[in-house]
Amino acid sequence: MHQSRGIRTLRTIAGWLVVGVFFFPIYFWTTVAFRNAKDIFNWPPIFVDFEPTARNFEQVFGISLGFGFGAQEAVTPGGGNFYMAPRLWDSIVIASMSTVLAIVVATLAAYCLSRMHFRGRHEFVNWVLSTRMMPPVAVAVPMFFIFKQFSLLDTYLGVILVHGLMNLPLAVLLMKSFFDDIPSEIDESALLDGASRWTIFRRIVLPMAKGGIAATAVLCFIFSWTEFLFVLTLTQTSIKTVPVVSSTFVTSIGTAWGNMAALGAAAIVPAFIVIMLVQRHLVRGLTMGSLKQ
Amino acid sequence: MATVEYNRIGKSFGAVNIMRDVSFRIEEHQFVVLLGPSGCGKTTLLRMTAGLETVSEGDLMIGGKRVNDVHPRDRDIAMVFQNYALYPTMKVYDNIAFSLEVAKVQTDEIKRRVEAAAEVLNLTPYLQRYPKELSGGQRQRVAMGRAMVREPSVFLFDEPLSNLDAKLRAHMRTEIRQLHNRLKTTTIYVTHDQIEAMTMADKIVVMRAGKIEQIGSPDEVYDTPASKYVADFIGSAAINFMPGTVVTGEGQPAVDTPNGRIRVLPGAAVKPGQKVICGIRPTDAVVSDDGPIRTRALLVERMGHDVQLCTAAPAGQFLAIVDRSRPFAEGVEVRFDAAPEKVHVFDAETEMRL
Ligand SMILES: Nc1ncnc2c1ncn2[C@@H]1O[C@H](COP(=O)(O)OP(=O)(O)O)[C@@H](O)[C@H]1O
Ligand SMILES: [Mg+2]
Repeated sequence: MHQSRGIRTLRTIAGWLVVGVFFFPIYFWTTVAFRNAKDIFNWPPIFVDFEPTARNFEQVFGISLGFGFGAQEAVTPGGGNFYMAPRLWDSIVIASMSTVLAIVVATLAAYCLSRMHFRGRHEFVNWVLSTRMMPPVAVAVPMFFIFKQFSLLDTYLGVILVHGLMNLPLAVLLMKSFFDDIPSEIDESALLDGASRWTIFRRIVLPMAKGGIAATAVLCFIFSWTEFLFVLTLTQTSIKTVPVVSSTFVTSIGTAWGNMAALGAAAIVPAFIVIMLVQRHLVRGLTMGSLKQ
Repeated sequence: MATVEYNRIGKSFGAVNIMRDVSFRIEEHQFVVLLGPSGCGKTTLLRMTAGLETVSEGDLMIGGKRVNDVHPRDRDIAMVFQNYALYPTMKVYDNIAFSLEVAKVQTDEIKRRVEAAAEVLNLTPYLQRYPKELSGGQRQRVAMGRAMVREPSVFLFDEPLSNLDAKLRAHMRTEIRQLHNRLKTTTIYVTHDQIEAMTMADKIVVMRAGKIEQIGSPDEVYDTPASKYVADFIGSAAINFMPGTVVTGEGQPAVDTPNGRIRVLPGAAVKPGQKVICGIRPTDAVVSDDGPIRTRALLVERMGHDVQLCTAAPAGQFLAIVDRSRPFAEGVEVRFDAAPEKVHVFDAETEMRL
């Protein structure tokens, strides 16, 4: 397509503007993590011209970074109030395990819903979706009592189950649409080739659905990584995820913005790594070449 | 190798009946072509044969055994789908080897058989490619290779050539037929292309809206079409139809049509006064100076060996394919005749052959 120089420049500028709008909060938040409290709420705001410090990170992760921005402070033994490193680990465990749970169950369920004809199949799909139609807060309190009954409060398993199950409806629906896009003649070919349902699923369909699984996994992971309400209600002291502990930086003597930003900035990293890893599989056109064009 | 027998087969999707009372038999080693326009139920019949679709009525017999309720993988049938349905995430080799792997055949035996099939189909250079890296014709051959390696007792083909270009189609037609001559596997081949049917089939089953219209060898369906529909469907150049009334003139039955009095065979089961439709194939029309069919040439198309004359006759357009030895010009009067045994007579009401 031929475009005049002016239009191209305009498009580039518009593109950078959009990128800037999305990137600016991340940039600002990250710099906040490296500021002393006095540099955070300046007016007019400062963007680059502040004295960097690693103190926030040192407090949040209970380590001495020892690179010389500003005054090196002694790390509080045992971590102190703002010591949050294990919470990052909690988040990683919960987000990845609940994603695995949701993906395994959703993939199997979606394949059946896509391929097997049973009575009430369409109603089933609607019913699955309906479970996400009420506000989560409506079930938070009942869930608390149910979890208490089953001793799931404050356990990894409890939160993993909740996040996994909350992700299921959407994951099932998404995966079903990916399976629906795979022509059923491919399954039928394999069936005539003598393969069992399970072999067809594992050897033929699953490799084709890789892109769909990757996309669904990203969504599930991000959901769990940022979910607040259920982690807040279903955990007490032994585990907490990043969104919930972030709220504890708001204390009676003020809000520790610098520490909150440090944890937030650090929390981007694992999620970013997971998404990068998964994204390699987000290739389109996996069924290409199977059919005549 | 096996026989396949359809015994009063019917099929409904929910309340909608799309096929009824289909009965015919395919002998061992036979190459049978199911021919019919799109939507007449050819794919459905193949899918029922493969077990991918339930049989609503009647008995389906393969190798003499009723298989209505036999699982697809136990029917020993291989099918080439209309859209090939290759496994896109597997290389050509693995596509072809898949059925053998599933059957737990020894690895070196798999290798031998896949390579043999690839050799026959000229796929040897492409074994390590993915389907998306192949052309349409190559994909088509991979689909055939996949069916072939299994050495099934019946092959099913669903319009395998419909998306190839004309030249490749003609080439693959002979390839498939030669392959069959070699392997001799009982084959059911579905197509809507009458040329494929005529050139490849031992037996043609002409279908129309879920019913069988005629079963016969290519010559039989061409020479004695069972109905106006079959006469129209078979043959490269469209047959000429003209309505008329039977008369008995000079001891021999004839039909009075707007195109003049056309003689028909004495054997034809016609009664004087009966309303009929006469069909004359363009290749059966002969130029004759005192012929009954008076036409005016509209278009003279030279086709090399022959000349196709598109003419205006009283009953409408009349097409003839004639020898090129005579010079024809547009606008001149040409009179045609047809040998009585070449005139097809159909009842005007039922459109069945008389
Ligand atoms: N799964 C189905 N559900 C309902 N109707 C169908 C289904 N499959 C095919 N049909 C109908 O059956 C008829 C025959 O279809 P098909 O066997 O595909 O025809 P062909 O292969 O000769 O073009 C068509 O009218 C089609 O609409
Ligand atoms: Mg079809």
